[in-house]
Amino acid sequence: MKSSLSAVSAICLGLFALIGTASEAAAAAKCMKGDRKPPFTIGWADIYSVPTWMKETQGTIEKEVDELKKQGLVSKLVVTDARGDANTQIQQIQSMIDSNVDAIILIAGSSSAPGRVIADACAKGIAVINFDSLVDTDQVTAKINTDSEQWGASAAKFLIDAIGGKGKILVLNGPAGISVSDDRRKGAEPVLKANPNVTILAETNTAYNVAPAQEAVTNLLFAHPEIDGILSLGGALSAGAVLAFDKQGRKQVPITGENARQFLELWKAKSLKSWATMQPNWLGAFATYAAVQALTGKDVPAFVKIPLPIIDNSNIDQYLAKAKDFPADGYIYSPYDQKLFDELLAQK
Amino acid sequence: MSAAGSAPRLYWPAQRQRNRGVKGLLTVVAAFLALYAYLFPGLISVSGVAKFSQSWLPLVLVSMAQAILMLAGGVSLAIGAMVSLGAVIAATTMAGPLGVAGGAALVMVAGLVTGAACGIVVVRLGLPAIVVTLAASFIVGGAALLILPRPGGAIPAWLSDSLAGETPVAALLVILAVVLWKLYLATPLGLSLYAAGENSVAAYRAGVPVDSARIAAYAVSGLLSTCAGLFVAAQTGSGDPVIGEAFTLNSIAAAVLGGVGFLGGRGAMRGAVAGSLLLSVMINVMYFLGFPPVAHYIAQGLIIVGAVALPEFTARRSSP
Repeated sequence: MKSSLSAVSAICLGLFALIGTASEAAAAAKCMKGDRKPPFTIGWADIYSVPTWMKETQGTIEKEVDELKKQGLVSKLVVTDARGDANTQIQQIQSMIDSNVDAIILIAGSSSAPGRVIADACAKGIAVINFDSLVDTDQVTAKINTDSEQWGASAAKFLIDAIGGKGKILVLNGPAGISVSDDRRKGAEPVLKANPNVTILAETNTAYNVAPAQEAVTNLLFAHPEIDGILSLGGALSAGAVLAFDKQGRKQVPITGENARQFLELWKAKSLKSWATMQPNWLGAFATYAAVQALTGKDVPAFVKIPLPIIDNSNIDQYLAKAKDFPADGYIYSPYDQKLFDELLAQK
Repeated sequence: MSAAGSAPRLYWPAQRQRNRGVKGLLTVVAAFLALYAYLFPGLISVSGVAKFSQSWLPLVLVSMAQAILMLAGGVSLAIGAMVSLGAVIAATTMAGPLGVAGGAALVMVAGLVTGAACGIVVVRLGLPAIVVTLAASFIVGGAALLILPRPGGAIPAWLSDSLAGETPVAALLVILAVVLWKLYLATPLGLSLYAAGENSVAAYRAGVPVDSARIAAYAVSGLLSTCAGLFVAAQTGSGDPVIGEAFTLNSIAAAVLGGVGFLGGRGAMRGAVAGSLLLSVMINVMYFLGFPPVAHYIAQGLIIVGAVALPEFTARRSSP
């Protein structure tokens, strides 16, 4: 009797243990095998380190790594720079796999190209956190981004309201063939379609830089004497457009944009009617944090959607008050802390 | 009998002559490969060779594509766009009704026809190659964006796995490309290549088919570029309309690093191949040395200058 009781309890214990491990397995993040121990080596596969947005983003990653080093969770940050070439980025990610880093965080140079090498990393139990420019494959631990289509749709809504539902507009896009630029434009399309009184005079495709956007808009200004608004789908593009209007002595019109410091300062200086959102630079810090969370056995959702903050005439002063802490050609991002990261990871 | 006897006697001195220009580069490349194998012992394994040759293969092909034009006295700024074109054609056709064979045939035809078209414009109309191929880069790049407006498409998984899996197929393809190049040089068009590039007027007077040789060089260059695109598509499992951009400059860098001159008829293909190997292995060595990215830029520049300058130094030492 006694022995059978103990047998039953042993079975019960065993069952509990089984349920325990099963739920633990379900809770572990994707790609994780639970065989990696802290302190971890983090690989940051940067696609292009030169743009200011990237430098600021790398700054938040380094700050986060310093924080995690203090906690004994991270030992080393390895950084590569593919100089804009998706092929080089693949080669560098392969090197990271070869050197057996514990986590790879990346901004993809192409939404399709790194798919196979990333799947390789995932299969080897490396935590792969992809943010900003996303890959198509789902063989990653987590993807972190704002919603680019929502970005485009909200911008289009603001602009159409601002010009009273009718008028002639320019559309400024990022480079052709790039997913982010394509998605923002795609999001704007249904809103533009629903307002037949809004005419698109012309569209541009330029790099996300002030100078090429300014040049492209200047050319369009000669061709179009009447422009009622500008749907700009990037912060530096907006600054370029405002400068083009200014240099040609044209009256400023409602314009959308991003948290680029130069654009926000022009907005204030020229008393524009504007709207902006942001791609927070702390996505880099958050990706680093999420990687370590996954490596330490915590669950990390497959997709973390970051809400798009809105900057308009009511709160632009809050952003400009912090301007001097950011580079002149940089982006004024919202503050972040571990509490925010935990909340973002907890959302379903 | 005597003719057959004299051919090998001429062959090896000619090979030594060609090796002389690239000796310094080959030394540097060998040193870097050794360093890479020391830093990453996993390189010396089947999958290590497989993975490295996969990274290297597209660069070899585009470097050969650029070198053949430079040997013929031309140059191409459309290499990158041609790679993109090859990649998007492969990614949009191979998973469809045309199948892998049909898609591959289409990629090759597109490369040959586009390359030959550039060649005909350059050679028959006597326009500068740099201008024609710059224009071609816009046209071909635009066509790639029309075929596949954003990254996507698909390559059958078995093709990706066989070309860019754990087996060193890519290394065999490098060898195949070099063998095919040797065979090409033995054809009348290949034989005329150096002559047409070095002194086209003298070659023409000597009865060399200068125009055909140069147009053929453009066609072969186009073929190599789109095939590089096909491999990139297989390696990545998909197509990307702007994936090739960086190859234009890298192909020129590899060829120049390999001692292929801009003025035509100077240098050898082995130089371009070695140059591309150095550019590729350098990326991995820098990573394993743990240099920060900014140091990569500087170190790469120094290594390239060093590899080009080394033969100059040794040449001066040996002939005071």
